Amino acid sequence: MRAILPWVAVLGFAMLAQVAVGPVVGHYWTKILMDVGIAVLLAVSLNIVNGFTGQFSIGHAGFMAVGGYTAGILTYYGGAALFDLPPGAVAPGIAGHLWFALSTLVGGVVAAVAGVVVGLPSLRLRGDYLAIVTLGFGEIMRVLLTRTEDVIGSAEELATAPWTTQVVSTGGSLGFTGLPFYTNLFWTWLWTGIAILVAYRLKESSTGRAMLSVREDEVASGAMGVRTTDVKVIAFAMAALFAGIAGGLFAHEIGTTLNPAELGFQKSFEIVIMVVLGGMGSVTGAALAATILTIVPELLREFSEYRMIVYAALLVVVMLVRPTGLLGHREIWHAWRRS
Amino acid sequence: MTPALFARGVSIRFGGLAAVSNFELALPVGGLYGLIGPNGAGKTTLFNLLTGVYRPDQGEIRLGERDLIGSAPSAIAASGLARTFQNIRLFHQLSALDNVRVAQFAHRRTGLVATLLRTPAWRREEEADRAAAEAWLTAVGLEGRGAELARNLPYGDQRRLEIARALALRPKVLLLDEPAAGMNPQEKLGLRSLIRTLRDTYDLSILLIEHDMGLVMDVCEHITVLDHGEVIARGTAAEVQVDPAVVEAYLGSPEAA
Amino acid sequence: MTRVLQTLMDGVAVGSTYALIALGYTMVYGILRFINFAHSDIFMLGAWFSFSLAGVFGWTLAGATPPPWAAVVVLLGAMSGTAVLGYAIERVAYRPLRSAPRINVLIAAIGVSLLIENIGQLPIAFGTQPQRMPSLLPDAVLFEVSGVSIRLVDTLVIGIALGLMAALEWLIYGTRLGLAMRAVSTDAQTAALMGVPVDRVVSATFAVGSALAAAAGFLYASKYPGINQPAHATWILLGLKAFVAAVVGGIGNVRGAMAGGLLIGMVEIFGAAYLSPHLRDVYVFALLILVLLVRPAGLLGRATVEKV
Repeated sequence: MRAILPWVAVLGFAMLAQVAVGPVVGHYWTKILMDVGIAVLLAVSLNIVNGFTGQFSIGHAGFMAVGGYTAGILTYYGGAALFDLPPGAVAPGIAGHLWFALSTLVGGVVAAVAGVVVGLPSLRLRGDYLAIVTLGFGEIMRVLLTRTEDVIGSAEELATAPWTTQVVSTGGSLGFTGLPFYTNLFWTWLWTGIAILVAYRLKESSTGRAMLSVREDEVASGAMGVRTTDVKVIAFAMAALFAGIAGGLFAHEIGTTLNPAELGFQKSFEIVIMVVLGGMGSVTGAALAATILTIVPELLREFSEYRMIVYAALLVVVMLVRPTGLLGHREIWHAWRRS
Repeated sequence: MTPALFARGVSIRFGGLAAVSNFELALPVGGLYGLIGPNGAGKTTLFNLLTGVYRPDQGEIRLGERDLIGSAPSAIAASGLARTFQNIRLFHQLSALDNVRVAQFAHRRTGLVATLLRTPAWRREEEADRAAAEAWLTAVGLEGRGAELARNLPYGDQRRLEIARALALRPKVLLLDEPAAGMNPQEKLGLRSLIRTLRDTYDLSILLIEHDMGLVMDVCEHITVLDHGEVIARGTAAEVQVDPAVVEAYLGSPEAA
Repeated sequence: MTRVLQTLMDGVAVGSTYALIALGYTMVYGILRFINFAHSDIFMLGAWFSFSLAGVFGWTLAGATPPPWAAVVVLLGAMSGTAVLGYAIERVAYRPLRSAPRINVLIAAIGVSLLIENIGQLPIAFGTQPQRMPSLLPDAVLFEVSGVSIRLVDTLVIGIALGLMAALEWLIYGTRLGLAMRAVSTDAQTAALMGVPVDRVVSATFAVGSALAAAAGFLYASKYPGINQPAHATWILLGLKAFVAAVVGGIGNVRGAMAGGLLIGMVEIFGAAYLSPHLRDVYVFALLILVLLVRPAGLLGRATVEKV
């Protein structure tokens, strides 16, 4: 019972966000709260790699792109075939939303597989090659995605296009436009809640401790029987899974366009900054930092030019003054108790 | 009877330097053997060879019946060969208890899905492991200190924690790399009885590197002396002490003196 | 045949700029064991400093033809500017983290990188518009081989790059400073005990590496005059490819970086010419993954044993 209760709580929280919070705060803040949810999902998942295992991945946006485009293809072209609707139409009722949920999940799984393929060669090695490989991966994804064909807009054209054409018709550098707006507060906060719960349970478990030991001292970790490469790959795949799901949510959100330029390394860096500021290894810290760093720029739009300068300066200063981030690897309630 | 740990003809070169050549050892089950030698004799390199951190150029290493050559350090550790480090390598940001619990991971039966769902089986194993980890802390004299971060422990206690962590692997053979380094005479005395107790209580076979001659001569029933990567003498404490090659290695040759 | 020759010329030109950047990565990695992420921004600044300096002297696209020594002035100016900056960055952002975990230094380096890019885009700096570099290096068709014109600018780019590499080779293997650099790279602790001033050696390494990156920036802008705005993705990407060159050659190995740079340039330009021009970055990273899988220490690197 104790084990199931948190899952129920996550579900309840997501439903509450959808039916009680959304209508009260209005469209503008609903959009911001969805943005916050996606940012938290990205930061909490990246923290599994960067914070728990101490490996340095800076290609999170690349996995987001893999998941987002996969899910987009499934809802846009797959949805059209499945529900016999014009491409991009929202399928009515619960069926459409279930198809969306499945699509995001598939996107996440594809991203996780990509994560294993990309991560394995560099995770075998000690050192910081992972940073370069993930960054390179993100950029390759971006370049490849700009080379895709135009989105097929009409039902007639779609009828004659084979699926092999459909999967590469994702809009090139203009972005995958016309995706149905399935993303809402419920789905956003359901996935985000799941990610937080998974990350926290992981941290407070033997697998999580094995991950932390890799971060602390990889040689000693191996000498204590931990298969360090396996542990790193598991962490990396889990992070990629949630990044892919975040990509699916992002793709189907109102007011955003899934385009390659949006998912470049600038995006990856923003997620890194959230993790570092929140505290490497702190689940709640990453979530808190993601929330603040999403809402504050929204409120200070006129200073957007200086936003990245402030972020960058913060990053350097935090490393010099408080190298483990604001919370370190403690959770919010630990910090509370101490003060 | 098959020795607990067996090595024959083990050699490794780094560049032009023969760091260890033709090393031989047969550590019997329940044995408490010592490995001594001047600085740079190749003692720690040998531990790294035995535990799979380095792969020997030649030679044979067996843990019981199991051939260890080519196995990953983690696999060797999980199969029953645990070690401590000369230059303490604890997980500094983790608590003492979590340091010990990391070493239990290799023996876990419940997997990732059970971990995330927190199944009853997972919970039982977690609780059993926690109790066992606390028992290991008690065994080395760190009872009630589990919540402290490893880096905040005093030096001598960090050495003890390294031993507790190694024990949590439930090894057959334990390699101790200078466990008394940096300890005061009081702590060394405690360590002496701890090593003996551990061997007797947990059916361990122990190989000990130590600079403190008093400790080695006192606890070890058999001593191997290494110099420039080669075994120059072996035998009981009394035999080794009077061996001319050993005297020369430690004091320098008569001509040089 | 014509095409091969032309592609070869481009490959060597681009490859030698990669090599110059890769040298900075590899020297810093050799001594401090971390990836200086801000190095690609130093390269970017090299191009922008060159452009701005030329503007100060009135050598603009619209202005009169610059004198032949203009290139020397601009090149040396840009190199000194980034050398000072590289020195300052190490002093302020990296030195306090000398004993910190490497991931912290890496994050600080990313911070420095973002800082340079975004300050560079401010109106008081270089702004957010791309610019066009005036041609300071003289250009003419030197001679033609079976229809391919060998251009003076390409020859000069390659010549200057090779000259700088030869100078670095002399610095490292022929001077006391180079000896100290090699000593620190082998074992910083022991070098310090032997009386090598480690901090000064590190400073010098950053200054030299940054100057070489600036030279690469100048040469790159001379060959491809369209200079993108400071935060544009191309800079990071070019820097990344140079880092790949350093890894492929064997990170920490100076000659490896030179060889790796040329190899990467060849792979990229030949791939672009004969396979698909849009996937040039893909070839480079595919090569990286291949090297990591097959020979993680790099082509000229030796596998190192970590001290336990």
